[in-house]
Amino acid sequence: MKGVVKQFHKDFPQYKNTKVVVDWIPWTNRTTDWTNALTSGKGGPDITELGNTDTPGVAAEGALANITSEVKAWKPGSEIISGNLANDTISGSNYAVPWFGGVRGIWYRKDQFAAAGITSAPTTWAELTADAKKLMAKYPGTYGLGAPSDYTNAIVSFIWGAGGQVAVQKGGKWVAELNTPQSEAGIKFYADLLLTEHVSPSKYIGETELGAPGATSGGSDEDFAKGTLDMYIDGPWAESSLEAVSTKYESDWASFPIPSENGPNPAPAFAGGSDLGVWAKSPNKTASWDLISVMDNPSNATTFANLQGFFPEFTSALSGGKYSGSAVMSGFAKAAAYTQISPLNSKNWATADATDAIIPTMMKSLMQGASFTATVTKANTELQNVLNTGSES
Amino acid sequence: MAETVVQLPGTPAAHPGARSGAFIRRHRLAPYLLLVPALAGLALVYFWPLTAMLLYSFQNYGLPQVTGAAPVQWIGLGNFSSTFADSEFWLSLRITVVFAAVVVPLSLVAGTLVGLLLNRLGPKMSGFVAIAALLAWATPPVAGSVLFYWLFNPDGGLVDWTLSKMPHWLVGSTNWAGYNWTTTGALQAYTVLTVLVVWTSFPFIAVSVLAGLKTVPAELYEAARIDGASPWRVFWRITYPLLRPIFLVLLLLSVIWDFNIFTQTYLLTGGLANRNEFNLGLYIYDKGFTFPPSYGLGGALAIIFTLILLIVTLGYVRSAVRQGALT
Repeated sequence: MKGVVKQFHKDFPQYKNTKVVVDWIPWTNRTTDWTNALTSGKGGPDITELGNTDTPGVAAEGALANITSEVKAWKPGSEIISGNLANDTISGSNYAVPWFGGVRGIWYRKDQFAAAGITSAPTTWAELTADAKKLMAKYPGTYGLGAPSDYTNAIVSFIWGAGGQVAVQKGGKWVAELNTPQSEAGIKFYADLLLTEHVSPSKYIGETELGAPGATSGGSDEDFAKGTLDMYIDGPWAESSLEAVSTKYESDWASFPIPSENGPNPAPAFAGGSDLGVWAKSPNKTASWDLISVMDNPSNATTFANLQGFFPEFTSALSGGKYSGSAVMSGFAKAAAYTQISPLNSKNWATADATDAIIPTMMKSLMQGASFTATVTKANTELQNVLNTGSES
Repeated sequence: MAETVVQLPGTPAAHPGARSGAFIRRHRLAPYLLLVPALAGLALVYFWPLTAMLLYSFQNYGLPQVTGAAPVQWIGLGNFSSTFADSEFWLSLRITVVFAAVVVPLSLVAGTLVGLLLNRLGPKMSGFVAIAALLAWATPPVAGSVLFYWLFNPDGGLVDWTLSKMPHWLVGSTNWAGYNWTTTGALQAYTVLTVLVVWTSFPFIAVSVLAGLKTVPAELYEAARIDGASPWRVFWRITYPLLRPIFLVLLLLSVIWDFNIFTQTYLLTGGLANRNEFNLGLYIYDKGFTFPPSYGLGGALAIIFTLILLIVTLGYVRSAVRQGALT
């Protein structure tokens, strides 16, 4: 950020005395901080980073400034992956710009694959479970593939990977599709990683990929880093937290995309990422946008993304095989070619996934042994209601 | 500077202060005037928010309404009807009631037993036991929860480790190493919570019972012993009837406390992520404050919760008053 501020002062001499204060807040506190700033009308930022699934909902709450004309006049804007810019647009107006992006894939260890006789990364679900079992046979006491129940952003890949959809828009209305045969195949496969295939431990029920929600230790990430979990679903950004647990197996870490049901192409990955928006109540909107234009120019955004284990949002920066050389990044770069975001960017998604936790609750019930059809049907009805009205019933 | 007011006999009070003083005296207003500052304070920090909450509960009040991005709309009983239609509301209500039904008797029984024990122990030993128990009571809910979180942690927690070292015939064939107590199901999570809440709430009951026991004349017990009454009979015929008012108050307080458990469930069941382990407190917090917050729905839920608690406790208060125990 220091270099960015220096450049900001140079490119915009009128701000050469402007002090830029960067406030790092824990990611899980972001919505609380926004809420506090909005309700008190004080302590709001000038610029905020947002998860790309947050943006439509937060803009709908009236928290973000309309920056349509600024984005139109911004040159690098045309280079941004167009779907991701469209994500920040509500009824034709821009409320944020993409900053960096990332996709989830499956982390594995090259040494374990070699020892278990696995020569190439699995590209179908059948291969995935078979490989998980081979690894467990070779490394007794470990589990093959972690399947935490509170992990919407990975579960959707399995729904999409079987050709299903979470929800689709028809005639201006959301229609939930969790109970189509394709979606059900994906949901069942994920639940069965625990229930019938036994490649995931039951302690991940009710946990996120990082362990018990809110906890600072435990979870599938730690187990993978310690070597008691053979394959772990997460994005490349997990690397620094894995290193914090243990670097013992670091040189063998690698990744492959989440397979689709029948291959050969990977399952669509959820296109996660972060945006930058100008706070609606900011007294310095022009200066804020000017700073964003520096932070998010192709070179600065790429540097920042690479530093954090993310991908830049510019088509030019993604091409050219820059990422295929790294064992960890190459799998994720492959996954990044097949992405989807809808309906995780719909206005009421935060209510569906954070407040009502519809998919996590459904997956948890299934893993606890609830009736499949009834559980999925209930979740489907709730999801459709929330996406359309913001309320489950 | 001292001021002397000279009042001549026969003439009415000359200055207005004296006249209003007479007014206050005649209408016996002094007590009410003294209450005014406290009432004003309460009105500001309690009655006004309460009124606002009542109003919100009939509105779609949320962040867009706070920021002015969308208009405030009256939605009548919409917040209430959507709550009663939500199966998770009924599940969290059931969990709350069952949890209180288990924890209240357990903590009352444990507390009474410890109280009786303290009454019989010598001064040194009873001091030791009382301090040990009161330390549990004085443990802040957050510290207690964190302690239990580590005890029952699936990754190297003491409980899982101990259970995994025990023979199968004793603890069953479950794979205890790595057993997740807190997020895999309501039954497991509330088992841990029951232990935690009973552990922190019995000492208060024990000390209250002990205080009551000290007031029971020793002659009564002596007479009972001479008549050959068993300890069981002594308790039910002497101790319980005499301490009945104390037990009723303790019961009432325990019900209210155990309905209101929030910190421990929030910390142990993983924040707001595990919806099928919610009690009412977590349910209300989730609906009202998770982003995007819905203050209207949260207000409606708070009203429902208050009414439920009133119904539960009113029954006890009524029966207590009727039996003259509290008067």
